[in-house]
Amino acid sequence: MAFRDDIQAISGQNVNICFQCSKCSAGCPLADKMDLKPAQVMHSIRLGRADSVLNSRAIWLCLGCETCSARCPQQVEPAAAMEAARLLALQKGIKPSVREIGIYYRGFVDNMRLNGKIHDTSVAGITQLLTGQLIASLPLAWKLFVRGRVKLPPLPLGGGGYRRMYNRALAREREAR
Amino acid sequence: MKYGYYPGCSLEGISTEYDESMRALFAQLEVTIEDLPDWICCGTLAAPSISHLLGLATPLWNVARAQQAGYDQLIAPCSACLYHFKRAAKQVAEDPALRAEVEAVLELPLDAAPPTIHPLELLSADGFEARIRQSIQRDLSGLKVVCYYGCHISRPASVMQFDDPENPQSMDRLLGWVGVQTLDWPGKVDCCGAHFSMIKPSIVVDLCQRLFEAALEAGADAIVVACPMCHANLDTRQNEIAARLGQPLNMPVLYFSQVLGYALGLPSEKLGIKRHIVDPLPLLKCEVSKLKV
Repeated sequence: MAFRDDIQAISGQNVNICFQCSKCSAGCPLADKMDLKPAQVMHSIRLGRADSVLNSRAIWLCLGCETCSARCPQQVEPAAAMEAARLLALQKGIKPSVREIGIYYRGFVDNMRLNGKIHDTSVAGITQLLTGQLIASLPLAWKLFVRGRVKLPPLPLGGGGYRRMYNRALAREREAR
Repeated sequence: MKYGYYPGCSLEGISTEYDESMRALFAQLEVTIEDLPDWICCGTLAAPSISHLLGLATPLWNVARAQQAGYDQLIAPCSACLYHFKRAAKQVAEDPALRAEVEAVLELPLDAAPPTIHPLELLSADGFEARIRQSIQRDLSGLKVVCYYGCHISRPASVMQFDDPENPQSMDRLLGWVGVQTLDWPGKVDCCGAHFSMIKPSIVVDLCQRLFEAALEAGADAIVVACPMCHANLDTRQNEIAARLGQPLNMPVLYFSQVLGYALGLPSEKLGIKRHIVDPLPLLKCEVSKLKV
């Protein structure tokens, strides 16, 4: 089952030993907002249901808080499986089901490529601009600005090393495939 | 011991007061730290969404440079950065072939990577107790707080290997040394919504509302945190939460480094206390002046 094997290879998690106790779903702070609960994501992976997992909102709503992973009696880490599912979805060209979060992750890495470090206000501002939330966020941005917590974006001069490493990582993965 | 220091992007940005107070506290306690040269972002959840290898190499870029600099430990005050360092380091330590791959991408060795630690882990160790107790300059024994550890100080235990993942005590112990009363409460390790503040703020408001309800019920004057995202979410979303609760909130949210630094007599300007949205200074001053009377 290619999908299950891919998830296992990327995440290092043996989803086959999940016995569906649903502790992960019980502890997840966002379970009430997910279409598939974490235990259902795990079960769907085990059954090889790539479409339902990769198109779910659940994998994008996962905050990575690790409550599920910490409490799993089988020492399986559902958060790692969700992370692998996000990567597979993007690799297969599937649009993130929670559009804003896909925009944020992409913008975050694009910003890293400029300087290695991110400029937090730029990442927030661009995400909010592209998701129609910029105006609503301005009053808070102003409060932070007057308290000296909004820095000017640095010139994009420090990212050369990171961009080269980024290219090496992606090239090695292409070769391996 | 040679300590490297990795501030991370938040501490250079909107969480500058965490950085200021951490550095001031280390100086006060005579802990010498050296800034990690050439550091980059830890990559958070974003880098692993682009590529598996990039997701590992991004945090380990910093760990490899900590090895190169010869540090015994690398201190990371942001618990999310720390989690990404520790998780990636564990994965390559358990898989030599994967380590070779990552080393080739980094063009640096990872054969003797130093451990990465949270400043709470360093300062709550027994060796600091006497030094901290002897340095108290302001009496904060009237201050009642709840310690909020959030997600990654100790969770998951398999990666973080520090404190109790369901009922951590390190911050309570540390604040206890300077006389602060720390209350037990059910919100210690619940998630604040982290980076969703930039994407889906309504989710952050939902999660933080539960935390404030629990803190109020416990009778806390303030919430003390050890992560820049926890702080940003709790400090900036109180208007929305107050509107939902139908009562004013205005609960100060402080970094543990600010509370400790204040107790040890550091001026509030050095601790960045004036940078918060909810001003904690009236509470801190009130506690100190009550005792003088």
